[in-house]
Amino acid sequence: MSGRPGRSERAWAIAILLALAALALLPLARPRDDVLNFVFLALLAITLAQSWNVVAGYAGQVNLGHAAFFGLGALVTRALWTTGTPIVPAMLAGALVATAAALVIGAAAFRLRGAYFAIATLAVGEILRTTVSNVLPEISTLPAATIATYRLPQRYYAALALAAVSIAVVAALASSRLGLGMRAIREDEDAAEASGVGALGLKLTALAMSTTLAGLAGGVFAYYHISYYPSHPFEPHWTFDALLMTFIGGVGTLHGPVLGAVLYVLLKEFLAVRWVDLHLLIFGAVFIVIVLLLPGGLVQAAARWRQPRRP
Amino acid sequence: MSVLAQQLVLGLLIGGLYGLAAAGLSLVFGVLKVLNVAHGELIMLGGYGAFWLVALLGLDAFASLALVIPGALLLGVVLYAALFGFVVRADEETRVKNSLLIGFGLALALQALAVRLWTADERSVPTPYGGGVFTVAGLAIPAVRLLSLVLAFALILALELLLTRWRWGQAIRATAEDWEAALLAGIDVRRAYLLAFALGTALAGAAGTLVTVAYSVSPSIGLEWTLKALIVVVLAGLGSVLGTFVGGLVLGVAEAASAAAFGGPYREVVGLVIFVVVLLVRPRGLFGR
Amino acid sequence: MAGGDVTRPRLELADVEAAYGDLRAVLGVSLSIDAGEIVALLGPNGAGKSTLLRTVAGLLRPRAGTIRWDGEDLTRVDAHRIVERGIALVPEGRRLFGGMTVTENLELGAFAPRGRVARAASLDRVFALFPVLAERRRQRVAALSGGQQQMVAVGRALMANPRLLMLDEPSLGIAPQLVQAILEVLLTINATGVGILLVEQNVQAALGLAHRGYVLETGRIVAQGTGAELLRDPHVRRAYLGPLAVRA
Repeated sequence: MSGRPGRSERAWAIAILLALAALALLPLARPRDDVLNFVFLALLAITLAQSWNVVAGYAGQVNLGHAAFFGLGALVTRALWTTGTPIVPAMLAGALVATAAALVIGAAAFRLRGAYFAIATLAVGEILRTTVSNVLPEISTLPAATIATYRLPQRYYAALALAAVSIAVVAALASSRLGLGMRAIREDEDAAEASGVGALGLKLTALAMSTTLAGLAGGVFAYYHISYYPSHPFEPHWTFDALLMTFIGGVGTLHGPVLGAVLYVLLKEFLAVRWVDLHLLIFGAVFIVIVLLLPGGLVQAAARWRQPRRP
Repeated sequence: MSVLAQQLVLGLLIGGLYGLAAAGLSLVFGVLKVLNVAHGELIMLGGYGAFWLVALLGLDAFASLALVIPGALLLGVVLYAALFGFVVRADEETRVKNSLLIGFGLALALQALAVRLWTADERSVPTPYGGGVFTVAGLAIPAVRLLSLVLAFALILALELLLTRWRWGQAIRATAEDWEAALLAGIDVRRAYLLAFALGTALAGAAGTLVTVAYSVSPSIGLEWTLKALIVVVLAGLGSVLGTFVGGLVLGVAEAASAAAFGGPYREVVGLVIFVVVLLVRPRGLFGR
Repeated sequence: MAGGDVTRPRLELADVEAAYGDLRAVLGVSLSIDAGEIVALLGPNGAGKSTLLRTVAGLLRPRAGTIRWDGEDLTRVDAHRIVERGIALVPEGRRLFGGMTVTENLELGAFAPRGRVARAASLDRVFALFPVLAERRRQRVAALSGGQQQMVAVGRALMANPRLLMLDEPSLGIAPQLVQAILEVLLTINATGVGILLVEQNVQAALGLAHRGYVLETGRIVAQGTGAELLRDPHVRRAYLGPLAVRA
């Protein structure tokens, strides 16, 4: 799939940003909390999918340790915020730590290619998760004073703003020289290297962008939840969610991960309500069927459907 | 000192199962070039297969292998025909991607199925000789775990024989090395893929049975075992069945040593760290070619 | 002609088009090889010679045209079944199973039923053709020299008991004194009635050996004739034999 940057991509960016702007009005209508919670989840999912897409879709590196950076962002943000740091600096610090960790890990792991890179990052993610659950086995709960002033719309707007930032970042990347270089690596790393594209530098840049967004998403997670186990955001299922949403939608495109995230959250929540204890089984099965029927994701399927078949 | 020695013996005993779990994954990865992230879930299913055979039919725990292995073989054929056969046809990038997608989807579905069928509780299988312990030079060796290790090694030897002596075993190895050359030698490569995948699933089923008999099983053990198997595959490299088994033993002992040094909760962490270091220093593994 | 075949197997390509990726296209090639014939396929790098052999072997599907063998259409037949029909390819770069022994490589060559029924006899025959392989039968192929590996590659193809043997650059990367030996073995093989389609950079040697030859340039046949005719052809001499040959 060759993502075609340019006008259609920009049109999508504008359309998605307009949709997000419209969602900014939602809290004014004073909807039920579960509606707001649901949209919050979808927005967080969009950021998570889009952040994973930067590395996988543009630089072609399947990072299976993505949850670690989401988790680090959550960990640092929560620690600073609950000890008195305002939430925005706390989130930025969380993103900074996640990015710094990613650069250290990436510098080593990018020596590996393909499946080996994927396996290595999965292992690194598990190292962090196990360590965090060993060091911080206690559940983290917000202080009573914070709970008393907890307002859902604030969390909602944090997630909305971050989703908009992630869209803007990927849209800017898609039409930049940087994005072009990353795509060259994705197509053929050796050829890109031979034509003067510094593969390692670009891959690290992609990873840094990806994990900054993931770290911020972790910060929103820490801001949103009243109580959770500190190791929870490190769980590998966060990575798998991001991967599944991105691939269902269409990896390496701007709108694919957004569509994938929305569909994914909708499907999962719908099944969870409809078939309480069977929902993951059905979800897994539906998911496999989607992969088999639409191997290139929704975006490619739509493109194929729109184009008349050549004789 | 003797505490450490005791730990290492226990590590060796579970290491054999790591080796067996990894052998199946290694076969599938080496031949199909497909990373099956649901391998641990197949191990988990094998464990529940044994649990059922013992609980419902009253079979002996180890004897249940005689039914679990053919059952898993069949399951492998079905999974290949329905899912993975579709994956191997794609080019490399799509193959990595689709195998991850299908693997995660399958893992999710199988885990949910297991919770539904057997609840989320941890289960183990009683054996009449369950409590038996040998004492050798002051070290306690649980009989069931020792027997599991022996059976794991026997299965590894059987696999080695299949791959070197059986006509189709050779064809599987040839396909792993160069599938185009295998086609040119007149090998039906699709069938080699199918056989390799079915054998890999059978090995997972056998490993699951032994894990359940010697330790326990629960619906959520899948990822942990996929990781263990992956670690061993990377430690040992592809292409050597006995090397994979030795890699499993090494991991078991290393984990035990690190648990003794840093405390129980860190046994996994140290194993993973060793793994990442080996991967970076020797991407082809310690015994790989 | 060995066995006095009633049928005369004959490979016929009509307007075959094929491509390997986007490059090295074959653009409408027609040629034929009679039973027991040695045919050389010449041409510069990138002319489509390997693509053509891979297409006949079934590794690539032709995009147009037909490939007939003994009257049967092969264009939709899978590669492993083409081996069973009696066409074997010694691919470019040998493509051996490096981690396996000489014997294992050879036995795998006889995997299809056609080769399997005659396995023991074929193995004796290969060891007779290449005695050094008999000495090294238990060695891993990766440990052999380039020339010996080429012998294994030819041997593996012979184990399939083919009626047509295709070879893609068998002299590439092996010692010059071995090149002649391998080419001579091809004559011995041919004497048992096996047809040979040879792609070879060493034009002089190939045409000396072949009954007929084709010259392929940028995907098309540009010249054909008997070995002697092509050796006299001014274009062939200029393009493939170099200035020295023109003077000689």
